[in-house]
Amino acid sequence: MKSLAYSVLLLASLSSSCWAQISTADQLDQQGLAATCANCHGTNGKGLPNASIPLISQLSSEELLAQLLAYKSGNRSGTLMPQLTKGYTDAQLESIANQLGQKP
Amino acid sequence: MNNSRRHFLAHGAAGLSLLGGFSSFARASLDKAQILVIGGGFGGATAAKYLRLFSNNTANVILIEPNASFLSCPMSNFVVAGMRSMADIASPYDSLTKHHGIKLIRDSVSAIDPDKKTVKLSSGSVIGYDKVVLSPGISLMTNSIEGLAKANQAGVTLQAWKAGPETLMLYKQLAAMHDGGVFAISIPEAPYRCPPGPYERASLVANYLKQHKPKSKVLILDANQDITSKGALFKKAWSEQYSGLIEYLPSHNVTGVDAKTKTLRFEVQDDVRADVLNVLPAMSAGEIAIKTGLANANGRWVNVDFLNFEATATRDIHVLGDAIQTAPLMPKSGHMANQHAKVAAAAIIAQLNDWPINPAPVVNNTCYSFVSEQAAVHIASVHQYDAQAKTFKSVPGAGGLSSEPSNTEASYAWGWAHNIWADTLA
Repeated sequence: MKSLAYSVLLLASLSSSCWAQISTADQLDQQGLAATCANCHGTNGKGLPNASIPLISQLSSEELLAQLLAYKSGNRSGTLMPQLTKGYTDAQLESIANQLGQKP
Repeated sequence: MNNSRRHFLAHGAAGLSLLGGFSSFARASLDKAQILVIGGGFGGATAAKYLRLFSNNTANVILIEPNASFLSCPMSNFVVAGMRSMADIASPYDSLTKHHGIKLIRDSVSAIDPDKKTVKLSSGSVIGYDKVVLSPGISLMTNSIEGLAKANQAGVTLQAWKAGPETLMLYKQLAAMHDGGVFAISIPEAPYRCPPGPYERASLVANYLKQHKPKSKVLILDANQDITSKGALFKKAWSEQYSGLIEYLPSHNVTGVDAKTKTLRFEVQDDVRADVLNVLPAMSAGEIAIKTGLANANGRWVNVDFLNFEATATRDIHVLGDAIQTAPLMPKSGHMANQHAKVAAAAIIAQLNDWPINPAPVVNNTCYSFVSEQAAVHIASVHQYDAQAKTFKSVPGAGGLSSEPSNTEASYAWGWAHNIWADTLA
């Protein structure tokens, strides 16, 4: 059984210096929006590798947006994501995908 | 400048004044502002971390927390039911300092003076602030039930609702109970911290009894007229898995405790005697919020401006988590406190940068409950800020419940726990 302390230690070792600089209000708003995903998917989308929750930061922004929209439209099934994506506007999902996905 | 030196300047609190010389005019106020975060739960610890992240590690953030380790309420029911240890739900606060440059003060706050903008610590020190982020959690209103304060002090009743020594004590009482005994849990009228938590606890205790003491019973004494969250899912699990092991009694409002006879008294019904008494009284915002005059919603909860979580009672004190008067359909949960923290942190950094505050924040809630050691269910919701109503509104058609308990969701629930712990503390 992994303990909480173990998770915290492991993530700390993974997550340093992956944060984009924020220099405008718009960038701050977008980081704030993407941070609503972090509870389940990890800070800046970098979740624990063996936490049983999909590692979204490995997807490109384009792939991530396609998945989010598929959940929202009902084309992709799931437990939570179909329910959560329906609460976000398409523009918000696009912003999240841009923040958390890999850039080409 | 070599890399290690650069790292020190960027991340060490001591580097802040040096960095200040390079800052633009707009940054100066952010660099100089002293931000005190009071309380290191899901709300406070997340706020401290994200204040640093959202400010490119320039904000001066001090976290004041009396405990050496964070103890998670989510998953603590596994400790109560003897399935996990306290170490599994504990983590020291060190990472917040090592990885985010947050200064930790291990103390509690005895008073906040909003006029002088100072905070007094229990040790006697007084610290000035530009901004306070207050995440005080809940207070248990033990005086609302006659005899409860004394019974709880003697250990005859336990709350174990704030994860801590009582969490393990409650398990020890359960383990010491004879086969054929009664474990009673009483639930106050909503709102209280973690709506489905008592029903999850009852489920996991019943899971324990089924394995170890099958002649025993969990008695749920609920002041509410029905189960307050995930009702159909809990009832289904109880009838399928714990037939005869769980008895649910709605509209049972505890008014008194007799410690000598281990008996509960009710507003209407006959007295109930039990072997283990887990009495949860009504709750309010943490004591420091009430003492500071912030609890202007029925004297119990703190009204906030939902764009930045500033208390409506005074300026520059931002209140998070279970202590606030929530928006409609917004639960009092650790997940939600973490989400409040990010909105508040972004708004504070925007304000100190002299930037406009995000006019349209959004928050979500995801809450898993276990109905047995192996199976879990969830409830989820998304809340968008409504500028006209000046509150968060739950988005219609979004969110919802599990269709049934599953092992898959149990696995996700543990994944959620490990990731939110790391998002909050690492």
